[in-house]
Amino acid sequence: MVLLTLPAQIDSLKDCCAFVRAGAEASNLAPQDMEKLDLVMEELFVNIARYAYAPEYGEVEVGYTAEAPGRLAVQLSDSGREFNPLASDPPDFSRGLADRPLGGMGIYLVKIIADSIRYQRSGGRNTLSFTFLGETRR
Amino acid sequence: MEIQSNQLANAVVLTVSGRMDAENAHQFQKTCEDWIGRGATHLLVDLSGLQYVSSVGLSSFLAVAKVLQSKSGSVILCRLQGLPKQVFELTHLIGLFPVFESMDAALASLP
Repeated sequence: MVLLTLPAQIDSLKDCCAFVRAGAEASNLAPQDMEKLDLVMEELFVNIARYAYAPEYGEVEVGYTAEAPGRLAVQLSDSGREFNPLASDPPDFSRGLADRPLGGMGIYLVKIIADSIRYQRSGGRNTLSFTFLGETRR
Repeated sequence: MEIQSNQLANAVVLTVSGRMDAENAHQFQKTCEDWIGRGATHLLVDLSGLQYVSSVGLSSFLAVAKVLQSKSGSVILCRLQGLPKQVFELTHLIGLFPVFESMDAALASLP
């Protein structure tokens, strides 16, 4: 696995996405897959940047493995407070505009787009790992 | 992300292009809020040049639409395509906004 440690702050989002895109290129993912991968990375990274350590400073370790053509394994790990974003409920789609909550959409999108996503808490660290499959593999 | 504003008699057209993400979505929301502060009630957003939007951007659209609904106004989405269109559909936001395929149709819908 290729690893990079970044400050857990929104400013690092571009570096995070650029790093994982290098893995996506190594996996021969198509250009139209790249933005979907960016979306998954942004949602997970921003979640950590906002909630894992706030108001303190912390770091995120991002890693990837180009497993096969069209198939990239990705992992994000932090030593912040215990939090499983996958446990959150999906937004209530029956609600109209006035009652629709602003949050909850990011993790919902991640669960749809990423494959085999899982959360683990071990040794004081939160680890989220998923597989990203290109359109040709879906 | 680039935002161009064009004030018409009965609406403000915002042409948004590029990528709307956690780093810049607040700029879009601020632009909308500034127009609302100047009395705009209908914001017609041309999204034909938007390549990418994340949930932070979606929340900005939703927040602005809630404010305008309370003023009997609206955020009208026009020419959604690509990943942004998929993301609006997947989150079922598409049913909460007036959506048009062409600017002419969107303009014709204005009161």
